[in-house]
Amino acid sequence: MMQGTNGFAFQTAASGITQILWLIPAIPMVAAGVIALLKQPRRKLAATLAIGSLAFSLLIALAAFGHVLSGWTSGHAVRETANFTWLQFGTSTVDLGWVLDPLSALMLVMVTFVGLLIFIYSTGYMAHDENFTRFFCFLSLFAGAMLGVVIANSLLLLFMCWELVGLTSYLLIGFWYQRPSAAAAAKKAFLTTRVGDIFFLLGIVWLFAQTGTLLFYNGGAGGIEQTALNGLLAAPAALGLSAATVIGLLIFAGAAGKSGQLPLHVWLPDAMEGPTPVSALIHAATMVAAGVYLVARVYPLMQAGMPAGGTTTALTVVTWVGAATAVFAALIAVAQNDIKRILAYSTVSQLGYMMAGLGLGGVAVGMFHLITHAFFKALLFMGAGSVIHGVHEEQDVRKMGGLRKAMPLTFATYAIGMLALSGFPIIFSGFWSKDGILEAAKDAHFSKGPFWLLVFGAVLTALYMTRQVSYVFFGKWRGHGHAHESPKVMTTPLAILAFFAIALGVIGTPAWPWFRSFLEGHAAAVEFGKFGESEFLVLLLTSTVIVLFGIGFGWLLYGSKSPVPEERDVLEKAAPPVWAALRDRLYVDEFYGVTFIAFYKWWAKVADWLDRRVWGGIVVLVIWAFSRLAHFDRFFDNEWVNGGFDKGCEELSSGGGLLARVQSGRTQTYLRLLAVAVVVLAVILIWSSRP
Amino acid sequence: MNYGELFRVTLPETALDLAALLVLLVDLAFLRKAALQVRVAMAAVLGVVGCLAAMWAVGMQTSAGFSVDGLLVLANGGVSAVAQMGVLILTAVTLLLLIDSSFTKHPGEFVAVTLMAASGGLVISAARDLLVIFIGLELLSIGLYILTAFGKTSAKSAEAALKYYLFGGMSAAFLLFGFSYLYGLSGSTNLSRVVLGTYMASAHGATPLLMLALVLVVAGLGFKVAAAPFHLWAPDTYEGAPAPAAAFIASVSKVASFALLITISHTALHFMESFHFKGGYVTVRVLSAGDPELHMTPGFITAWPLILILISVASMIVGNLAALAQTSVRRLLAYSAIAHAGYILLGLAFFSWEPRSAQAILYYILTYGLTTIGAFGVIGVVERATGSDKLDAFLGLHKRSPLLAAVLLILFLSLAGIPPLVGFWAKFNLFAAVLSVGGGFWPFALVALAVAMSAVSLYYYLQVLKRAYVMPAVDETPIRVHPVTMLVLVAIAAAVVLAGCFPAVLQNWIASF
Repeated sequence: MMQGTNGFAFQTAASGITQILWLIPAIPMVAAGVIALLKQPRRKLAATLAIGSLAFSLLIALAAFGHVLSGWTSGHAVRETANFTWLQFGTSTVDLGWVLDPLSALMLVMVTFVGLLIFIYSTGYMAHDENFTRFFCFLSLFAGAMLGVVIANSLLLLFMCWELVGLTSYLLIGFWYQRPSAAAAAKKAFLTTRVGDIFFLLGIVWLFAQTGTLLFYNGGAGGIEQTALNGLLAAPAALGLSAATVIGLLIFAGAAGKSGQLPLHVWLPDAMEGPTPVSALIHAATMVAAGVYLVARVYPLMQAGMPAGGTTTALTVVTWVGAATAVFAALIAVAQNDIKRILAYSTVSQLGYMMAGLGLGGVAVGMFHLITHAFFKALLFMGAGSVIHGVHEEQDVRKMGGLRKAMPLTFATYAIGMLALSGFPIIFSGFWSKDGILEAAKDAHFSKGPFWLLVFGAVLTALYMTRQVSYVFFGKWRGHGHAHESPKVMTTPLAILAFFAIALGVIGTPAWPWFRSFLEGHAAAVEFGKFGESEFLVLLLTSTVIVLFGIGFGWLLYGSKSPVPEERDVLEKAAPPVWAALRDRLYVDEFYGVTFIAFYKWWAKVADWLDRRVWGGIVVLVIWAFSRLAHFDRFFDNEWVNGGFDKGCEELSSGGGLLARVQSGRTQTYLRLLAVAVVVLAVILIWSSRP
Repeated sequence: MNYGELFRVTLPETALDLAALLVLLVDLAFLRKAALQVRVAMAAVLGVVGCLAAMWAVGMQTSAGFSVDGLLVLANGGVSAVAQMGVLILTAVTLLLLIDSSFTKHPGEFVAVTLMAASGGLVISAARDLLVIFIGLELLSIGLYILTAFGKTSAKSAEAALKYYLFGGMSAAFLLFGFSYLYGLSGSTNLSRVVLGTYMASAHGATPLLMLALVLVVAGLGFKVAAAPFHLWAPDTYEGAPAPAAAFIASVSKVASFALLITISHTALHFMESFHFKGGYVTVRVLSAGDPELHMTPGFITAWPLILILISVASMIVGNLAALAQTSVRRLLAYSAIAHAGYILLGLAFFSWEPRSAQAILYYILTYGLTTIGAFGVIGVVERATGSDKLDAFLGLHKRSPLLAAVLLILFLSLAGIPPLVGFWAKFNLFAAVLSVGGGFWPFALVALAVAMSAVSLYYYLQVLKRAYVMPAVDETPIRVHPVTMLVLVAIAAAVVLAGCFPAVLQNWIASF
């Protein structure tokens, strides 16, 4: 599992492409800055700048990917870094830098490519919005920050970009800030992720205190390389855990906030208040995956001290949190009626799968699901956007229906996305990536719990997706007006993504585990024989049964009849209290409301009281004292020093020539004071140094 | 005495003086009939070229300096080179901001005097001998008196110059008096010999004569850096002098004078490997002498930091509190300059012979100098537009010239020490250096005072910014700014932001000499 242990030797000297890697995030950021200066009506220019800059970044990303790939095919794993000292205090330095290795190269291509498609799609989706230019400014800034997260070779640089990404997420969720719900959702997202970020920051500071560096890789001296890890393992923290474990868990807390893991998932469904392209780009494909990417990036820290065939405390926590989130969110998704909310909970659930995959099977397993999910979830969100666009901004699935005829292209691509997400066997990429996770879970030594949770989650995934597709595309039309197909600029990206939702599976099959070999740095062999092995066949069969059961059950419940909006759901009739609990999202928000938020409100009142009654008084007193002192000082300088002599002169003399005398008089006072100062200083000094 | 060597070492000064003569020649001989604007631009450009030539000459220096009989008179490299580069860069920026000013009909003379004063600054930065130090100081000071008086149509300018001159003359007398005592105590005018001699001067404690000599020296230098209680000239001079002259006084003169203070503190410490107090004596291990341990009076070691601490605390308190009550932005900047001098003096009081202290102080004074020049540039523009430097002249500046207001915002926030601007790192480095040198209660308490006073300073900087951004404008007519001036101001603001975002760049540059 460890990268490069049994694979190729690392090639670390920075090549030309690594030297210019910083351009990838810099170009969209500069574009964002330029767009910010544009006037509102310059829509075309804004869109051109945003798309052009990201296309340019995509080209460089492809070149970087090609460089890594050519290194890999010629037999050495590429991990090139470019570091520089950002600031220095005393003997410690804080270094920043970027890294080009298979992990960052893959993410770069994915983010720039999916991002580019969503940018293009946005020009259609946002065509009628008056704040079109502002939208593209934020999107570009987001792309730059996200790419910064990807290339960062320093936990600090990663954290800076991480916070920038959080900021743009806030800005874009609240893009329609006139709607109170959007403003509230933006605030909620910002504050909830901040909870995770505090722990993340603690982890960063702790790591710096322990190792003296925040670089990931630095020719053996980086924070997650062997020397530093040995030190971290030896350093005890608390409760019998090593510093490595605690720091790993703190960083995971940050990742959990960004990736919507339990118990910090509450912000992600609300984030759907943002425009749909934002949901697709940020809250499905890229930003929410940043947490998963972070865990993959610091994986050596997570697995430090792992016994052969065993696991570590940190990875066990990651696994359980991921598996629990996967089931928890899938359960809630079953009882939602908003088309985007269903997808949002599905995203939370799938992120849980990725985390579990990282915990159980290593970087390659988790990252493969991340990449395939990015494509098919972006596809689903953009498909949902196309549907919403086509049915005049309606989002309730009960008020849709029969759209497969009105929107054939959207339907076809959406169906592909749905089957990929459900993990329909063999054809779709989602099957292979989810299969990898389930396989790793089955082999887990410490517990079979995660495996059963994930299997249950898979059934639910197939169920809620079938329910959604049945509601939206089958049955009779239940909405108002006429549904229409979306313009080409929106459907073309859908088709491209649909292609990848299928095709990506090829690189991760057991017979040709290219993805894993590439990430872990060893040669990939094609062994079709693997398909024939009984182990694989059993798993294939199990997966197929799970998926078909989910889809079949869903079709039975929802596909065969056309539901009426006013009528209760089939499952609701079966178990009303359970359904109500699921529909109300298992009361997590309410629970936070009566605990944390109530506590903070009470604490704010106490602080307010202290501020007004206690500190306020002290501050007023200090201000008063200082302003008196300042006035005295001015009085001393202006009146006593300057004016004192003036007054004396005024009284003594009169008439012309006063001004000249006043001026020379004032200077005399100055000089007299100078002499007094010298005498006083000399007296103090001689007195203080007497033997 | 090797005159060839002397010529090589003083090449930067020579370059500046030649440039000054060239400026006079061109202005008086060829441009007599030309428009004032052309003459100003020509003089400024020639002056900048002179500065660049001198910078090149500083960079070209290879020897350790100019010595007579084995004693260093003018040093090269290290602190001296950084300070000289600083003097030249800041002089060049000041000259660039001169381009659209119209306070004088004699731009050639103004630039020539500026360049000659700057050459005095170069001498001070490098000097290691009391007499050379004095000559450098006078060369600089006399230039500054003339520059202050250059606003010949303004009565304020003449008044300010006269006050400055009288105060300066008195301080110079004190300084020279102090130097003569030092010479008497040590028998040498060479700085390292003087310091060594003062340790030997008496076997029984510090002599009152040494104390008096040091107080007199500090009075003379305290005048140059505008430290309380030797600051009384500063508010009047800052208020009355033409804006470019005020900027020059506030920046270039400060850099050179603080370089001299660093030299003195460094010389007082650098030849000792270690020292410790024992029954009224200091036992010192001298690096160069044959005798490994010497018993000395605690002379320089205790007295010098103590005086510096006293004037540092006085400067921080007087400067910051008096600034609160000012209504003129120039006077406000003068008091803020006194406060900044107080912070730097704290760094000099807790000084280490390791390069860290000197680097932190140079970092502070260079960035402070640049920021102040920018601030005076903005004030100059506002004065030309409104005829006043009162706080209310800045009302609604962001509507009248958004870019100018943005520059002012960046510069003032940097002066207040707000991250990520460069002023924050300057303060951070300086205070960190103080704490790393001095352990125990007092350094901590003094740094705490300095930080508290920085917080106070934010109030008066925001007073100006509040008028520029928040309070309603009285007059909304746009202010026209000469493109070159705007460019220089924006470049200064950009430098303040960039140096703040990448603090290591400037640190490395300073350490590279």
